[in-house]
Amino acid sequence: MKHIDILIIDDEKKFAAMLSKRIQLRGYTAGVCYDGETGLKWIKENKGAVTLILLDLQLPDIYGTKVLAGIKDLHPDIPVIVLTGHGTEQDRQECDRLGAYQFIHKPLKIDTLMATLENIREHSK
Amino acid sequence: MTEKIQAFLKNIWPDFHKHKPSVHLNSFHTFTNYWRLWTLSILILAVTALLPLCIVSLINYQLIQQSVDTELNLRAERLTATAKSAITFFMEERLDALIFTVNEMGYDRLNDNARLADILKNLKLGFGGLSDLSVIDKEGNQIAYAGPFNLEGKNYKNQSWFLEGLKKKNFVSEVFTGYRDVPHMIIAVRSLKPDGSSFILRATLDTDRLIQKISSYKIGSHTDVFLVNHDGVLQTPSKTYGPIFTKTDLSLSTDLDKTDMITITSDTTNRNVLSGHSPISTSLAGTPFILVVEKEKQGMAQVWLALRQSINWTVGISVFFIVFVITFASTFMVNKLYRLDKAKAETMLQMEQNQQLASIGQLAAGVAHEINNPLAVISQTAGYVKDLFSFKEEDLDASEIVENLDSILEAVDRCGTITQQLLGFVRQFDVKVNKISLGKMVSEVLSFHKKEAEYKKIQITVSIPDSIPDMETDSGKLQQILVNLINNAFQAVDEGSCLDILGSQIDDEWIELVIQDTGCGIAEENLVKIQEPFFSTKQDKMGTGLGLSITYGLVKKLGGKICVQSTQGVGTSFTLTFPITLENEESA
Repeated sequence: MKHIDILIIDDEKKFAAMLSKRIQLRGYTAGVCYDGETGLKWIKENKGAVTLILLDLQLPDIYGTKVLAGIKDLHPDIPVIVLTGHGTEQDRQECDRLGAYQFIHKPLKIDTLMATLENIREHSK
Repeated sequence: MTEKIQAFLKNIWPDFHKHKPSVHLNSFHTFTNYWRLWTLSILILAVTALLPLCIVSLINYQLIQQSVDTELNLRAERLTATAKSAITFFMEERLDALIFTVNEMGYDRLNDNARLADILKNLKLGFGGLSDLSVIDKEGNQIAYAGPFNLEGKNYKNQSWFLEGLKKKNFVSEVFTGYRDVPHMIIAVRSLKPDGSSFILRATLDTDRLIQKISSYKIGSHTDVFLVNHDGVLQTPSKTYGPIFTKTDLSLSTDLDKTDMITITSDTTNRNVLSGHSPISTSLAGTPFILVVEKEKQGMAQVWLALRQSINWTVGISVFFIVFVITFASTFMVNKLYRLDKAKAETMLQMEQNQQLASIGQLAAGVAHEINNPLAVISQTAGYVKDLFSFKEEDLDASEIVENLDSILEAVDRCGTITQQLLGFVRQFDVKVNKISLGKMVSEVLSFHKKEAEYKKIQITVSIPDSIPDMETDSGKLQQILVNLINNAFQAVDEGSCLDILGSQIDDEWIELVIQDTGCGIAEENLVKIQEPFFSTKQDKMGTGLGLSITYGLVKKLGGKICVQSTQGVGTSFTLTFPITLENEESA
């Protein structure tokens, strides 16, 4: 069982692949799941061995907020950043309620993401 | 001051007279013919208010007329009765005196002129009105005479009064001139001589006394009292008909024998007169006289006239006032209605335009998502290429860079397609009437819902055969109708629902389009209300309540029909029917 830094759950394959490559270029580890079910399964199998989860709301199988609730059920202390193309105010409120770490609109700035990751790692030490 | 008058006139004068049906506004007006509304309102109110007033006034009129008529009749009857009894008494008294004289004196004493003169003197003292006395035997020869005229030795056997007098015991004659050429009348009493043959005691009466008696009943200038004989010839002078012996055209009652009867007739043909007729008859002898009393209604009915005038005035003023108030109220109400309706129609037209923009706004979410995803890919891929230069400067792989740039271009193409679609969509609002393919338009509208349908797992079935001809219509409006109905369907459905869009050609002129979903449906009590403006069941203030009302208006403008069927919890189905060619072009 290997601990990774960021788990990306997003159905836009090219986006997820590029983001994962860029994270790796910066010396961190990243994993990609293309739908909610795979994501939840990975977290379960790896017993939450991840520092930060990047979660898209529009997933082909389960809606993002439900995935968020699932993650929080399994490991309430893993920070989850919700990343969305056009999430509504309602979605934001729902995510806040469920304990999302951040609610970010696409496009995502890699430097912001890295700074957040560093921040989390500092705090968890 | 003039401003106040102008404001008043504006309120009372209908300002909808300028109302011309405008193509744009008309479909939003609740009423179309305000003049009809106005006249109808005035008419109904006027009939309701004036009819009872008129009926009550007429009844009042009738009642008063009746009571006045009754009163007039009574008065005429009373006067006739009084005059009759006085004249009857006048005659009776003189007959009594003669009968007494005949019985008291007997023939032997009466045939003496000197005695007779004494008797005449006494009778004149007692009763008056007698001018002479004479005794006549049954052959008509005058036996004795007392009086101022020299009539001794005259023979009366051919005179009608004598012949009548012989037949009856007591006799009263008509008024006539006789030998003396002076109007007079005769009363005569028949008796028997000692030898058993008849003789007659005759007295001449001056008519002056009778006329004087009758005149005392002529009260006021509207009353006429006189005597006529059975042929209608005046026996005393009359104000109306002239001097004595004038033949009148009075229609006398045929029942002249019934002497106790008083007939009141109302003669309205020539003069408005109430006349009372009554034959005069004493208990001793009948008379040829008929008493006539004439009363002019005009004179007697002053009270009635005054009353009638005041009724007329009251009714007239009331009618004027009621009509004025009704007109004022109707104008005020219809004006108010017209202004409100006009404001509503204008607001609805404005809303229709706003809603057009709002429907694009509703699409924006879908469009944003469609564009955001390729943008995110571009952003990350470009970032990665940049990273390559920053982190792997030494061993740059040109093919990797080209590959990544290709995927950026591909994503840009995706964005381009979407913006083109959106532009095409918005451009439809500028174009007016043109030929469009229904299938193409439906798929255009649906393209913005593709992602949402994917996420919500909505199964969309579109079945529009290619055989349906292109239709000529206002494409912007048709598009708005489709956007509204499909947006509604998307809001109504849950995950895993179905949305079916079915097109078919009914005949050469009509196309049918059915949009049905398996969503939450519409409650039965709301079905009739959905086309009313501002009706919404979306309680979170998300809905304006205008979508369907505007959609109904748009379908009407395109000359189409729309009907809805819905069962709560099962789904909703909108059936639209459009003409293939837009004949009455209303979209100008």
